[in-house]
Amino acid sequence: MKSDFSEEKKIVCRCEDLTAAEIIKKIKEGYHTFDELKRVIRCGAGMCQGRTCRDLIMKLLAQHLNRRIEDLPHPTIRPPIKPIPLKSFQ
Amino acid sequence: MRYQLGIVGGGPAGMMAALIGDRFGIKTILIDDNPALGGQLIKQTHKFFGSKDHYCGYRGFQIGSILREEIAKSKVEVITSATVTGIYPGFILGLHHKERYQEVGCDAVIVATGAKEKFLIFENNDLPGVYGAGAVQTLMNVYGVFPGRRALMIGSGNIGLIVTYQLLQAGVEVPFLVEILPEIGGWFVHAAKIARAGTRILTSHTIISALGEEEVEGAVIAKVDDQFHPVSGSEVTIDVDLICLAVGLSPLSDLLWQVGCRMEFIPELGGYLAWHNERMETTVPGLYVAGDVAGIEEATTAMLEGKVAAISAVSHLLGPSDELSAMQREIIRELDDLRSGDFSQVVSRGLRRLYDRP
Amino acid sequence: MSARISKGYITHHPIIEFKRGKKVKFFFEGQVLEGYEGEPIAAALHANGIKVLSYSVRYQRPRGFFCAVGKCASCLMEVDGRENVMVCMEPLREGMRVRRQRR
Repeated sequence: MKSDFSEEKKIVCRCEDLTAAEIIKKIKEGYHTFDELKRVIRCGAGMCQGRTCRDLIMKLLAQHLNRRIEDLPHPTIRPPIKPIPLKSFQ
Repeated sequence: MRYQLGIVGGGPAGMMAALIGDRFGIKTILIDDNPALGGQLIKQTHKFFGSKDHYCGYRGFQIGSILREEIAKSKVEVITSATVTGIYPGFILGLHHKERYQEVGCDAVIVATGAKEKFLIFENNDLPGVYGAGAVQTLMNVYGVFPGRRALMIGSGNIGLIVTYQLLQAGVEVPFLVEILPEIGGWFVHAAKIARAGTRILTSHTIISALGEEEVEGAVIAKVDDQFHPVSGSEVTIDVDLICLAVGLSPLSDLLWQVGCRMEFIPELGGYLAWHNERMETTVPGLYVAGDVAGIEEATTAMLEGKVAAISAVSHLLGPSDELSAMQREIIRELDDLRSGDFSQVVSRGLRRLYDRP
Repeated sequence: MSARISKGYITHHPIIEFKRGKKVKFFFEGQVLEGYEGEPIAAALHANGIKVLSYSVRYQRPRGFFCAVGKCASCLMEVDGRENVMVCMEPLREGMRVRRQRR
């Protein structure tokens, strides 16, 4: 019903400008955890550190891998949990 | 600087916890990333239910002011516009404040960071004018900014229903509210109120697309089948300049993951949260949770959880006493009462699942 | 329900009485706008009809704020030469220079 073009306009990660189509493509290529996806396409590596996209991406992973969210590895959360400008450490 | 108790988050749970800590003479620091304390209370204009002890009859922002004044009179040290960016061994809190990074040591910590709004996947979901329902509440109820001429509300939980009503009060037209499930999620009283005011609540409907080049100029909504797939041919284009997402909240638990609490996934409570017991103790000794970060509920239960968590922290710091445990048992009983109604079935089920995982 | 609206602000609300700071002038992309001191920059911009706060990194899609409480980082702008300021949290001051970030 919907064209591929409209799939391109569904944004999942606002910070890194990643669409649902791009994330699903990577899942199909074999990147099966959030942290793997983060390493290849930077989802959750942007300024919000995944606070907006994490739940959506975990849901996409669960749907496409046919598993429950709680059975998937959760992304590693490291400090600082919010970006700090280097200048602030001077 | 060293404190006995560090509280992260100055909403209803954190403020209440700080007041309890202070009452027992605990050297307490309360940290919040907003310019002022109050959390989401500052944008809540509806009157609270419950008993007199729970600020029944007051509006959320009034409760926020009362607690803020009490904290101003107390010995609690408050830092606003400050973000806790990490919790390190020995409860050293990393703090970013006024463009400077510093560290604050504590003997016990209460995490009361609240929740974040869930986002939704649809075409052009990032177009300016697609806002979280909470964002719209902040804009119009706290700062008096007119959010838009005509709004589409997505989601019929209590937040969706209440914010729809508040939009109408602010002079915004809300022709439609869509809900993907076959039934309205929130309370009937709220739904009836907005239906009387002219909003059509469309269940088994969803948003397909936001329309517009630079900002929202319309939306396409459609009926969904029992698999939640849009029914081809049912699409309707509506004229709106504001799309509000009220599709749920999830606990803002990044610090709890980072510090190594055992986390549990409980959909009834909004997603992943730190395992805790009725005394709000997590798996990390000396670290407690309260409010939405301990499961999505509302401000009345958040305030009570803040008290419970603070009493646990005081017992940890000063040693347990009969007075403390009696006081705590009484508040836990109040929480049980509040959650015993039909309205709290989902939360109660979630909490039972949590407590059942030892 | 009897709200009154003027220049992007709610001037009369059935429940809330808004306490606003003094009126100040500030600059957005060089143009002079008015807002109230102490309100978040994003609120002042929205009241002035400005919803596009940036263009996205890869596709240059227009972006506004989303959460308005400092969580989603969708509202980062350049303020008085400082980059990545969350304008949904940053209070407006007289004479501030606000720009969309160039990336």
